[in-house]
Amino acid sequence: MDSLLDIRNLTVRFPVRKKGAGFGQKSWLTAVDDVSFSVKKGETLAIVGESGSGKTTAALAIARLVQANLSGEVRLDGQDLLPLSREQLKEMRRRVQVIFQDPYSSLNPRRRAEDIVREPLDSLTDKSEAEKQEIVDDLFRAVGLRPEQKRLFPHQFSGGQRQRIGIARALSTQPEVIICDEPVSALDVAVQAQILNLLRKLQSEFGLTYIFISHDLGVVQHMCDSVAVMYMGKVVEHAERLSLFNNPLHPYTVALLSAVPSVDPEMRRKARRILIPGDPPDPLNMPAGCRFASRCPVAEPRCHEIAPELTAWSDGHNVACHLVTPEGNQALARATTE
Amino acid sequence: MPPLLEVENLRVELVTRAGVAPVIDNLSFTLDHGENLSFVGESGCGKSMTALAIMGLLPEGIGRVASGRILFDGEDLTTASDARLRSIRGNQISMIFQEPMTSLNPVYTVGEQIAEVLRAHQGLGRAAAWEMAIELLDAVRIPNPRSRVENYPFQMSGGQRQRVMIAIALACKPKILIADEPTTALDVTVQAQIFDLLRDLRAQTGTSIIMITHDMGAVAEMADRMIVMYAGRKAEEGAVQDIIGHARHPYTKGLITCVPHIVAHLTEERRELTEIPGIVPGISEFGQDLCLYASRCPNVTEQCRQARPPEKSFPASHLSACWHAEEI
Repeated sequence: MDSLLDIRNLTVRFPVRKKGAGFGQKSWLTAVDDVSFSVKKGETLAIVGESGSGKTTAALAIARLVQANLSGEVRLDGQDLLPLSREQLKEMRRRVQVIFQDPYSSLNPRRRAEDIVREPLDSLTDKSEAEKQEIVDDLFRAVGLRPEQKRLFPHQFSGGQRQRIGIARALSTQPEVIICDEPVSALDVAVQAQILNLLRKLQSEFGLTYIFISHDLGVVQHMCDSVAVMYMGKVVEHAERLSLFNNPLHPYTVALLSAVPSVDPEMRRKARRILIPGDPPDPLNMPAGCRFASRCPVAEPRCHEIAPELTAWSDGHNVACHLVTPEGNQALARATTE
Repeated sequence: MPPLLEVENLRVELVTRAGVAPVIDNLSFTLDHGENLSFVGESGCGKSMTALAIMGLLPEGIGRVASGRILFDGEDLTTASDARLRSIRGNQISMIFQEPMTSLNPVYTVGEQIAEVLRAHQGLGRAAAWEMAIELLDAVRIPNPRSRVENYPFQMSGGQRQRVMIAIALACKPKILIADEPTTALDVTVQAQIFDLLRDLRAQTGTSIIMITHDMGAVAEMADRMIVMYAGRKAEEGAVQDIIGHARHPYTKGLITCVPHIVAHLTEERRELTEIPGIVPGISEFGQDLCLYASRCPNVTEQCRQARPPEKSFPASHLSACWHAEEI
């Protein structure tokens, strides 16, 4: 087995109070529905999708950071993380860390930068003070902060520098997996490049495995080795980087790609908009068939009745769409060339 | 025909505790009838301030137009009275803000908020304004406008709220629509819908659009001409395809190459992204007689640190404020 992280049939459900139902009646909102994928060691899996697609929930569930009803398996090096007790979780948290989206609210404003970076070491490891100090010093260098900045508070840093502190904190326990939840979407364009380059440098330096959540397909194209596209809690397409971007099969993936404004004039000519009108369906009242059918430009009657399974189209390229044949998605190809 | 909007040597100053800082420093540009002009740059470069100055909405007591003129249809807006400005705003020049979540009033229905503009500026009666509001919701492609018009903002999704903002902005068929990062808070699929909507509406009504953004892709898709702003000054101006094809300012070049753009044919190769080191200077450093980009520029020379670069002209009214523009 060469995959470090193996997710099988992961389902995350939140209890919600049903409108009009009696007291104590609960219904469930399924944010992530029967999702399976795996990530190889040292590689980056990107999860993309619109807001509300369940991408963040899926990633946080892997780190056991959501309070919800979880089922399925999340195997890290063969060990299932979902049934772990609080004590066992400590060990696991050392190995799985998170970089958060908003560098303004994810750092404690009352603590100094070095304390923020050292905190995971204090709570998850039993290293000596001298060892911890050395690790913190090394990390400041590794993420490109100056040693004299260790004593400063978060408000004294710019957005990009704060994200560097967040990255140093995530690295402090020498994790194997880092979940990057939209790590650059709150940053200015010019600063994004600095952080993306840093993340790639650190990945090759420390052999890190990333789960990279983003809605920016340009960033995803640059960062990932494989991509899972999520729509309404389901993975609709999962493939290697080249295969997905050069030969997208699911209508939703194609629509997402064609919606990205591009500076490449060829891209603009080629990708004549596939418009997906309307909004996603109500997550509490999911349609019976394919969840994308209501917005799909090529949906057929069967799409509204039977939910398509995620099946292998070729080695390493999985897609959940009835219209995909061994030749590809010809119904979609016809719709886009017209 | 004279241009619709002509901004001449505009200087806007902010009074802060640290002193007076020119957040817009000698900016001139024109906007033609039916044209789509984009302002590009990082946060803190004066893009939104330019929009607010045109609207006469500079932060009261802190911001002021120190010199220069803003001529709209021949009328100078910097000297216009408050009452005159109020009759222009929302009527002939209107604005869409970045945050569709916070720029609608949560305690009024969207119908009331659209009708308000029509009653104030067009003198329509209640019933007529309400009917018009329904038509406008339909025009911005909100399904079932007759029932949705009675919704409160919280009952709508982000994309729908932004459509309501557009409906309000377009209610009086303005001559200029200023869109300040209209899609930053939205998903790409919704962004594509909003862009299509803006394009169609522009074709129908001939409204000129000033779009403020930091996304070069959006500019390439939407605009005819663009102005790149840096630290309150114009860095580069020209036709969009000219600038994207051959940027004449290192900042523009940096902005284009630092973003991983989605490409038509993806290959195994992955180049390192070009970084623009550092960040935009704080406003206390604005207004010095030097190139404010010098501290981040890869092509910096002694000259850049000694004097502010003049605007150099290139063919097809392409301007660049860089000492080394010819070599780039």
